[in-house]
Amino acid sequence: MMHMKASLFCNPQYMASAPQDVWPLSGKYFDADVAVRSLQTTLAQFRLADEFGFDWATVAEHHYSPFSLSPNPMVLAGAVCQVVHRAKIAVLGPTIPILNPVRVAEELAMIDVMSGGRLVAGLMRGTANEYVTYNINPAESRDRFAEAVQLIRHCWTQPEPFGWAGQYYEYRTISIWPRPVQQPHPPIFMSAASPESGEFAARNRLGVGFAFTTVPHAKKAVAHYRACARATGWDPGADQVIYRALFHLADTDEQAFSDMATLPPRVSLTDQNKAVSEAARKSGYYGADVVGQTQRNSRRELGDRIELGQVIVGSPETALKQVRRIHGELGAGIIDFVVGVQLGERTMRSIELLGSKVLPRMRDL
Amino acid sequence: MTGESFKESFVEADGFRIRYVETGNGHPLICLHGGGGLRLAPAHDLLARDYRVIAFEMPGFGASPENRRSTSTEDLARSMNAAVSALRVERYSLMGTSFGSKVALWMAIQGPEPVDAVVLISPAAIRAQEGPVPTRVSPEEGARLLYAHPERQPKAPPPPPELVAKHAALTSRLLGPPRDAPFEARLRQLPHSVLALFGTADKVTPPEGAHLFREIIPNCHIMLVYDAAHAIDADRPEAVASIVGDFLARKDQFLVRNTSDLLHR
Repeated sequence: MMHMKASLFCNPQYMASAPQDVWPLSGKYFDADVAVRSLQTTLAQFRLADEFGFDWATVAEHHYSPFSLSPNPMVLAGAVCQVVHRAKIAVLGPTIPILNPVRVAEELAMIDVMSGGRLVAGLMRGTANEYVTYNINPAESRDRFAEAVQLIRHCWTQPEPFGWAGQYYEYRTISIWPRPVQQPHPPIFMSAASPESGEFAARNRLGVGFAFTTVPHAKKAVAHYRACARATGWDPGADQVIYRALFHLADTDEQAFSDMATLPPRVSLTDQNKAVSEAARKSGYYGADVVGQTQRNSRRELGDRIELGQVIVGSPETALKQVRRIHGELGAGIIDFVVGVQLGERTMRSIELLGSKVLPRMRDL
Repeated sequence: MTGESFKESFVEADGFRIRYVETGNGHPLICLHGGGGLRLAPAHDLLARDYRVIAFEMPGFGASPENRRSTSTEDLARSMNAAVSALRVERYSLMGTSFGSKVALWMAIQGPEPVDAVVLISPAAIRAQEGPVPTRVSPEEGARLLYAHPERQPKAPPPPPELVAKHAALTSRLLGPPRDAPFEARLRQLPHSVLALFGTADKVTPPEGAHLFREIIPNCHIMLVYDAAHAIDADRPEAVASIVGDFLARKDQFLVRNTSDLLHR
């Protein structure tokens, strides 16, 4: 039986007080020393994760916000390759509809080479606010995504130079160097929170990930993905499903809860800007299930977030119970643990407890 | 309507009476159809804005008498070169689709001088392996092999079964094996710039086999046309006309973009 895997996602948050409810945030709040310390902390946490045997190290892309100092996850992954020597490097992921897909294929191939074949490639649509970043119409997000996924696969697998006559992208000749180490190409995951995405992932035989959602919502989405996959003649294993949740562990439940209470209520980056949020909704970005897609991420109290599986918090025993429940309900083979709060030594201790007390027992799930 | 501006004519060549349709002015583009017979697509109309498009119906296809004389695509190419000569077209480019790609390549091999460039659409000339053939399956399955979006194509009655059978018999007799060594040996000497287009959703001549053309033909450019099945010129006519038009105008230099991205001055 395949054992359950754990990924550590050290989101490089800006480690000083800055408004958490404004997007885009003004540069006047930026302090270079804090930014340097924040990214160094992230790399130190990844190093620790590798020592404790986490299976993957996750990086992601967000723009114009102290929520994450990683507008280009490829750059961060290049650094992570140098401190994480055993775990896979999970780039979950570039927001491909706003990027140059050939460049994405090249950079991911570089990471696969620099890590000796340890890349996990997440190809994402991102959140709606990201479309403002490079001035891309969110209404065209799904079509651009579908085309870019195919183009990236061809970049990795076509043995001879080729051109691309797409609907959104055109290149007269492509022949990437370096090429990926993993053949025919690195494993690909995408977000499948919406029914449309689940169908696409199933049709294209891709793995799926669920981030900043709830267990009940993800459960429905996984069932839909699996049904679509069976209809196209394949059966995704547990290793094809990633579930992402925030975590914070301490030696006691009391300590963990009191640490976690310092976390400001989360407002999604898109919802931090009313105009962006409303325009994105009107654009059709969320597909047919607008209510489900916009409400899964709405503001909630900590107790509710734990109940819904958005946050894993407590002592190792308590955390393990929460992990067991998520695993049991979803059949997810990989949990992507996001560092919940940046509290210096206490966050290092949280990673240590997850790695030493929870991780070994997850192997039997 | 597709092909409306094309005028029908006949030419006597090599003992055959060969039907062709033509329209447009400019550099001549000689088109050789696929195994399903002469089928004008919206891409032909678009190309005719800049080129003199001449599309032949090869002997044995359509309403022409059964062709028992041609023995191979090489042999058929000799007849088609005779037809082009009879039209007194002095310098031209060739565009071969699927089965017609092999005829077009043989025409270029046999008479290289007047040929400016060669375009191959979903070419069946070199095949990594035998794929499904649209003329040998049900009309519904055939439509799914030809078009990525059959529902977007104009409604038309399926061709009569006896015509489909006649085309299938002729193409399977003439096309030759997936890998044709004497043909490939000649291709390795081909002096022309070649552009080969493959649909990303094509199961008949899939994009996975595209690299073979590049490996065998000394100067071959591959373009993958997204969201197109075997009938690329019907699924993505604007894309085909734009790429082919630019290639015919600039040959190998079509690699370098010459249109502007300037938003406002």
